Amino acid sequence: MMDDVHMFRKSLLGLLMFAAGACFAQSELYKVVDGYKVDAETMKGFRTWRAAACDRCHGANQEGLVGPSLVNSLKTLTKEEFVKTVRDGRLEKGMQSFGTSPQVMENMDQLYAYLKGRSDGAITRAKVEAMPAP
Amino acid sequence: MRISGQPKRPSWSRLGLALLALPTLAMANADVEKNIANSKNWATQAGDMFNQRYSKLNQITTGNVGKMQVAWTFSTGVLRGHEGSPLVIDNMMYLHSPFPNKVFAIDLDTQKIVWKFEPKQDPAVIPQMCCDTVNRGLAYAEGKVILQQADSNLVALDAKTGKVVWSVKNGDPKLGAVNTNAPHVFKDKVITGISGGEWGVRGFIAAYNLSDGKLAWKGYSVGPDAEMLIDPDKTMTWTDGKMAPVGRDSSLKTWKGDQWKIGGGTTWGWYSYDKALNLMYYGSGNPSTWNPAQRPGDNKWSMTIFARDVDTGMAKWVYQMTPYDEWDFDGINEMILADIDVKGKATKALVHFDRNGFGYTLDRTNGALLVAEKFDPKVNWATHVDMKTGRPQVVSKYSTAQNGADVNTKGVCPAALGSKDQQPASFDPNTKLFYVPTNHVCMDYEPFKVEYTAGQPYVGATLSMYPAPGSHGGMGNYIAWNAGTGKIVQSKAEKFSVWSGSLNTAGGLSCYGTLEGYLKCVDAKDINKELFKFKTPSGIIGNVFTYEHKGKQYIGVFSGIGGWAGIGMAAGLEKDTDGLGAVGGYRELNQYTELGGSLTVFALPN
Repeated sequence: MMDDVHMFRKSLLGLLMFAAGACFAQSELYKVVDGYKVDAETMKGFRTWRAAACDRCHGANQEGLVGPSLVNSLKTLTKEEFVKTVRDGRLEKGMQSFGTSPQVMENMDQLYAYLKGRSDGAITRAKVEAMPAP
Repeated sequence: MRISGQPKRPSWSRLGLALLALPTLAMANADVEKNIANSKNWATQAGDMFNQRYSKLNQITTGNVGKMQVAWTFSTGVLRGHEGSPLVIDNMMYLHSPFPNKVFAIDLDTQKIVWKFEPKQDPAVIPQMCCDTVNRGLAYAEGKVILQQADSNLVALDAKTGKVVWSVKNGDPKLGAVNTNAPHVFKDKVITGISGGEWGVRGFIAAYNLSDGKLAWKGYSVGPDAEMLIDPDKTMTWTDGKMAPVGRDSSLKTWKGDQWKIGGGTTWGWYSYDKALNLMYYGSGNPSTWNPAQRPGDNKWSMTIFARDVDTGMAKWVYQMTPYDEWDFDGINEMILADIDVKGKATKALVHFDRNGFGYTLDRTNGALLVAEKFDPKVNWATHVDMKTGRPQVVSKYSTAQNGADVNTKGVCPAALGSKDQQPASFDPNTKLFYVPTNHVCMDYEPFKVEYTAGQPYVGATLSMYPAPGSHGGMGNYIAWNAGTGKIVQSKAEKFSVWSGSLNTAGGLSCYGTLEGYLKCVDAKDINKELFKFKTPSGIIGNVFTYEHKGKQYIGVFSGIGGWAGIGMAAGLEKDTDGLGAVGGYRELNQYTELGGSLTVFALPN
């Protein structure tokens, strides 16, 4: 019941945003509609996030847990720093190296795009869905 | 202070050890037994080998515990979760810390650090222990302090000097095989397990000689019979209402292809030992991955209670609690041995509170299933355990396998951290009841396909956890349980999960810590009577212990928030679940506590 109410509130917010013309966010990195429907590449980024179990340390919503909030970190971290951190890790701080993970290494740009979208506030929820094909 | 290095071990001394082998063997258990028999000590992590967590000390009682004060405190200098407890042997206290796994020997007369040991470990193991770098404590036997390091090295230290006597590598941390468990000394063996179920580690239990650290035997949880130390004809399991041999390839038959090789079944709990039966008991963990679609079958012998012969490692009997796990109901929680009345019959019982929410009572002599009942009324993933087959009757709605990958199965109770996790329960021989620190948390669980890469996480599900809906709003209960009937006798609501091991004493007390940081002592005869409460420096996930020094009884506990509940939950609530009415939840923990490890020791005023 509470769930329904909450969902309704969310949709209402979506409508308001639509009315304000803010429902379609776009950058060079990612495309997103309604805050959670993303392009195929960004979708790969989300799948990589999930498969690499990043949520175990950074939280289900990237809000930070034992690891830092990526919503915050990606506001200041450069792409190069991001890639280096993911590839080599920051072992003393508890960040592992993903250098031997094919999925992470092959989808580094997509992972960055997804997380940047979350950090920018354009992707409004962690669990995204594929955008309908144009 | 001393950095671990090559222990001095001249060959002639090895020869000497070999010559002395027999008397050494006989003495090992005797020494631990002698230390346990002296109730002034806290000689093992559970106070005894039965995992009862009961002390005969009776100076602090229900009548005077209210006057208890802090006697002394000690900082470990380490942040992160502090599980387990110190040991006390005669005049000395031995303390451990989370990674980097420092060990301190403290003289109780002067409270001075006699020696300190800090191993050098590759920091690469820190992220592999994600999300917390806990260690559950030390073992002591025959003048050796045994430390199970995070990087899997098992080390024996000279209790007088802290110098390394021997050191042995127990796993490959590069593949995620790390350690968090306490080592246990049973007979002439040091028993240890392995962690890494979320890295595709194939679990095992291993026995090393206390004398020289050499591997005596190793039994895997899954795989070929010989590697599990299972005899198809002699290892028994509950079958159709009676015990029967497991038969050939009992594990391999229940896995698809080679999945068992990365199949989990890790062993990071607390082990127990019955000298009269020469059997040791422990539970194996969840099968890997968390996505059930990738491992059809019962996945034996993950999620299983094992009884093994301590000398040979051979499995005498096994009982699988959660065949084909779909929820990460990791079966590693401790087995408590107690001689109690079960359904009107005096029984040598084994009592186990599983992550899956069922409290089990088995006949520990032969593995027969006697009782299996829910110890949290909110448990909903199964209606009951069929007593004939021993199998839980799964509710389709909550079956993440039936709902399939990429479907979010909602409202499963308990959550993956179980109705109880590693926090050990206690048994009080006076009330004949079990005192159980529990979690009251439910979850949404969405499995998805994952590829295995050696040394990388291998999880395969996204979880969201929240307080049990339609209850008192809190995330924990402290309960008193009758294992003979399978009934909750009393339940005391707690705001957060009770993630601290409990202690019962001959003074009529039952004590435990809370995530906010309170040490609480209640009346064992009426647990709703809170007799003592004190706020320690940080949230408590350590286990309460007691000892006597110079005629005075002390009660102590580690504080230092962390662990899965402490860190994993502190900031982990999804916005969506806030809407369920439990706004704040674990996140509210921030209002009570911060990281920081220390020991607080209490006593009555002079």
